[in-house]
Amino acid sequence: MTKQQRTLLIRVAAIVLVILFAIFLFHIGRQHTVLIDNNTVTRDGLELQALKLADVQIGKKGELIEMTPRIRDKALVVGQRHKVKMIYTDANWNEHVYERSFKIPLMQNMVLISLPALLENPDDVSYWLENYEGLTITPSELPQNDDIIFDELAGLDSF
Amino acid sequence: MRELSTKQKILRFMANNTVPLLFVVIISFGIPLSGYSPTYLVGEVVSRVSRNSFLIVSLLIPILAGMGLNFGMTLGAMAGQIGLIFTTDWGIVGIPGIVLAMIISTPLSILLGWWTGKILNMAKGREMVTSYIIGFFMNGIYQLVVLYGMGPLIKIISPNLLLPRGYGIRNTVNLIGIRKTLDNFLMVRIGGVPLPIGTFIVIALLCVFILWFKKTKLGQDMRAVGQDMEVARAAGIRVEHTRIMSIIISTVLAGYGMVIYLHNIGTLNTYNSHMQIGMFSVAALLVGGATVASAKIRNVFLGVVLFHLMFIVSPMAGKRLIGQAQLGEYFRVFVSYGVITTSLVLYEVRKKRERGMAGTALAQDQEVTT
Repeated sequence: MTKQQRTLLIRVAAIVLVILFAIFLFHIGRQHTVLIDNNTVTRDGLELQALKLADVQIGKKGELIEMTPRIRDKALVVGQRHKVKMIYTDANWNEHVYERSFKIPLMQNMVLISLPALLENPDDVSYWLENYEGLTITPSELPQNDDIIFDELAGLDSF
Repeated sequence: MRELSTKQKILRFMANNTVPLLFVVIISFGIPLSGYSPTYLVGEVVSRVSRNSFLIVSLLIPILAGMGLNFGMTLGAMAGQIGLIFTTDWGIVGIPGIVLAMIISTPLSILLGWWTGKILNMAKGREMVTSYIIGFFMNGIYQLVVLYGMGPLIKIISPNLLLPRGYGIRNTVNLIGIRKTLDNFLMVRIGGVPLPIGTFIVIALLCVFILWFKKTKLGQDMRAVGQDMEVARAAGIRVEHTRIMSIIISTVLAGYGMVIYLHNIGTLNTYNSHMQIGMFSVAALLVGGATVASAKIRNVFLGVVLFHLMFIVSPMAGKRLIGQAQLGEYFRVFVSYGVITTSLVLYEVRKKRERGMAGTALAQDQEVTT
């Protein structure tokens, strides 16, 4: 192998490494929204009632969210593998703890966890976790008053 | 050589450091007038040092190669902004988002730096004004790409980033996902002043890189090219290639610097953030005592501290002095442009004086020998 070939090889290897590193960063830095839903849902023809009271935590460092019936809350998570911990208080004030792992598809912005479904069948992730597309917002529906401003001194204050 | 008296030494020191001394005088009047507490001032200065130093350090390499102050760093800033637009669109947050934006900006910066270097090689001796105009030209291309290309040609996933018409990026891009993540990584508070150690480590690494780089073969080549291009060429150095390399490195570092700068602010002004960055970075470096031909790392930090102290105190000092904060705003714009002009004039005066002194010394030597 000539010196030129070796140099080329090293350069190509360096570029490939950087690209791989960028892909790795994309995976570990991707943010997703996890919606936690405590509404009555129907699964396989079975109506599952909203839970009277539950505390939910997404991820180990996530805050504990208190969920009452007909409440939907959200948690922002980074990365694809997470844990959901639900502390459910039943009618007799007994606490039941469910802790399960789940994975969010890389390109999925939002997923929805249904708490009644999680209580009913905690071991089947697909039963209580679903991809959520939300409302499709077209740019024209967003606020219209966004004129382009070209101001050469605009960055002055922040500098 | 004749030994200088103390008075002459003081005069020489003052002549060599006119701009920093001028700023020390302005600030020493401004600080008491502003009425800010020392803790507030120190906190603000620390924040601005962490925000701006990386950008200003990116100017050092072209100066080493004798290409003067690289106003073309704006191109790197644009590349950094494009990197941030993409990472925001993809929802990459935290330090991975910052690093990914830097990686995305790198090929763009290399391409733009190479192109700028090529042009500057055609405009030897007029690099500064040429790079300044290249910045304006490329701003038009940037606006064309971001305003019309993003959406239909370059896919943008998030509708929140797009203008209501469906293409083009909005005026402001919220960088909440990466805001201050590097600053808050290893944040320490001393006497109520937050010290972003994470950012300072990155800046320190860059400074070490610059010091190391100056000792490498390429660094030494740049120094030789900066001192005399013809002598360097005669010594077998590829002058044009070396000059292009210096601009590429500067542009890439400016791109990284812009990402760090914007991550600290937390908002990207899509069409404005980059426009004055070259001007203010150059001004800050000159305030630190650098010249068109010589700049050191200490000039960067002294410049940031003095320049930004003036930036912080002047609006309030103006308000207290004549009841109008606006005066201080005008004052700092005027000072930014003024300091660049003063430095360039002083540099030329000093160069002429040194040439004159060298000529006189040569004439005296010739008289003695005859």
